[in-house]
Amino acid sequence: MSGDVLHPRPNPIVAAMYTLRDMDVDVIVVHGPAGCGFMVSRRLEDAGVKVVTTGMRENDLIFGAEDKLVRTLGRVQEEMHPSLIGVVGTCASMIIGENLDRAIQKAGIKAKVIPVDVHGCSGPNTTGAVRALEVASQMGVIPQEEFFRQREMLNQATLLETNRGLTSKDLLSPNYGVTKYTAAKRIFDTLKDGGRVLVVLNGKKELAYGHADILRAVRECSSRIGGKTHFIANLDRNVGLPRIRRYASDITRDLVEADVRIEHITGGLDEYPMAGIKAAEHISRIDHDLLIACGIVHAIPKLDHDAILVSDQPREVDNYLKEGFRDVVSEPDIHARVMSARSILRTELGDTIREMSKEAA
Amino acid sequence: MRQIAIYGKGGIGKSTVSANMTASMAEAGLRTWYVGCDPKADGSMTLMGGEKLPTFLDQMRDDESNRYKVGTGYRGVHCLEVGGPLAGVGCAGRGIIVALQSLHRDYLKDDADVVLYDVPGDIVCGGFATPIRQGFAKEVYIVTSGEYLSLYAANNICRGLKNLGIGLGGLICNSRDVANEETAVRTVAERFGSRMIGFIPRHQVVRDCENAGRTVIEHAPASEQAGAYRKLARDVLSNDMFNVPSPLDPVELRNLLKELTAE
Repeated sequence: MSGDVLHPRPNPIVAAMYTLRDMDVDVIVVHGPAGCGFMVSRRLEDAGVKVVTTGMRENDLIFGAEDKLVRTLGRVQEEMHPSLIGVVGTCASMIIGENLDRAIQKAGIKAKVIPVDVHGCSGPNTTGAVRALEVASQMGVIPQEEFFRQREMLNQATLLETNRGLTSKDLLSPNYGVTKYTAAKRIFDTLKDGGRVLVVLNGKKELAYGHADILRAVRECSSRIGGKTHFIANLDRNVGLPRIRRYASDITRDLVEADVRIEHITGGLDEYPMAGIKAAEHISRIDHDLLIACGIVHAIPKLDHDAILVSDQPREVDNYLKEGFRDVVSEPDIHARVMSARSILRTELGDTIREMSKEAA
Repeated sequence: MRQIAIYGKGGIGKSTVSANMTASMAEAGLRTWYVGCDPKADGSMTLMGGEKLPTFLDQMRDDESNRYKVGTGYRGVHCLEVGGPLAGVGCAGRGIIVALQSLHRDYLKDDADVVLYDVPGDIVCGGFATPIRQGFAKEVYIVTSGEYLSLYAANNICRGLKNLGIGLGGLICNSRDVANEETAVRTVAERFGSRMIGFIPRHQVVRDCENAGRTVIEHAPASEQAGAYRKLARDVLSNDMFNVPSPLDPVELRNLLKELTAE
């Protein structure tokens, strides 16, 4: 392996934008070309964050675009009346040395503005998240301890990706894994034979709205056809920024309603790198005939290759298959659908399990 | 069409040498272009009778569909100043890339004989190397004095040229009247694998002409100084030796100069 990671992956700009969303900013101003980050902008708009761009052009590269940013901030204040704004740098603006602080000062608007001076070449994507949190804590938007906790978690996340995740291999291609039928059949058969199925959710923030459906579906199936179920999840409702806690509360509410009893809480929804390690400890202590791991499953060390894995990332599926896992299921549309979610979504694997159990019952 | 790029340390007299070479070529009947690449945009002033040209980038900024009004100076020399951002903002290098691409696409006619690019300072980034990219100047000359810092800058430029695989036509010594200057520049040039192609003496007449907003060629055509510029222009035009230079180690360069300039 050359050390060059060739497949596309998120960058610090995107991570900064998501982190600003986590801090409940009203508007994100992208200081750069109009197209920069537009796919992620659409998703963030589904999550209720407004995104605007300064739309830099060739002349702005040459002469600088500070005035454009000042004007854009003025327009945002006038038309959107935000109380909290994030400004994110891009390759274009940061390489020519645009001064975000000065532009914000010149704009002199009422809203609080968090400047995040990162760009696509600033390092791993988590650099953008760490920088956004750092500036926010300096401005008193979030407590300093929260910044320290998240920075540690993000450093762990970076290591995790390099060691076992998306950047651990130089070329990963989208792979959609085994069919939902194959995975559902194994789960169904185990329960039908009176076996014990252990489901672990190691969720990452809003994506847990999707993955939690597997827990629900397995429980529903077991209630119809028998077997025993165990559940582990990182759904601590007292960890993280208010938005992240809200996700954990929403999901817990729906799981309680579906009669899913979580035996072990492994951490908060932004703690997946460490929660995975805790999950592994619990897994070794709970007798089971089949293990299903959902979410960021490479954060769970020493998983048996016999486990069923559920991922929302088709490249991650490729990674897991290359690691020797066989029954890896992809739920790629989770990403797009969770952005405006306030309750657990239905997944294809979940629905397949339900359908199978209904037919049998 | 000959395309020539002039590099050298800031303040060493690149623009004076470039403008006088351009004027000499025009005087000899060649259709010449002077392209100033310094954001300060003042290199063409002596060719334009002391008038400062509006810059290419400023005009395009106001309206991209604008057509730049190329300056017509002494003996019909076409003058263009690229211009650029104010100091401390934006990206001058990007400006040069954009302006020179447009110059080639929309302005330079095939009937130009010589295009001379006056490029500021060192080759600090990709933009400043645009004048010597493929399709632009194939000939590079470096203006230098015999002083260490000036030759040090020349050495750095040679490193850039080596990196880009571009041939050096020679060093032009613009004298500052320091000891053993001609020998020093000649020797360093040879160590680069090149040669000193011209020596321009230091003379009060240069200042007088600049104060009058004219080149020496125009304002003091009969002076010896004008003769030196004419000879330089002739030697540059007849030059056919272009070697990719081999730069020296900075310590080696300093030791060499110590030896050469010891009285």
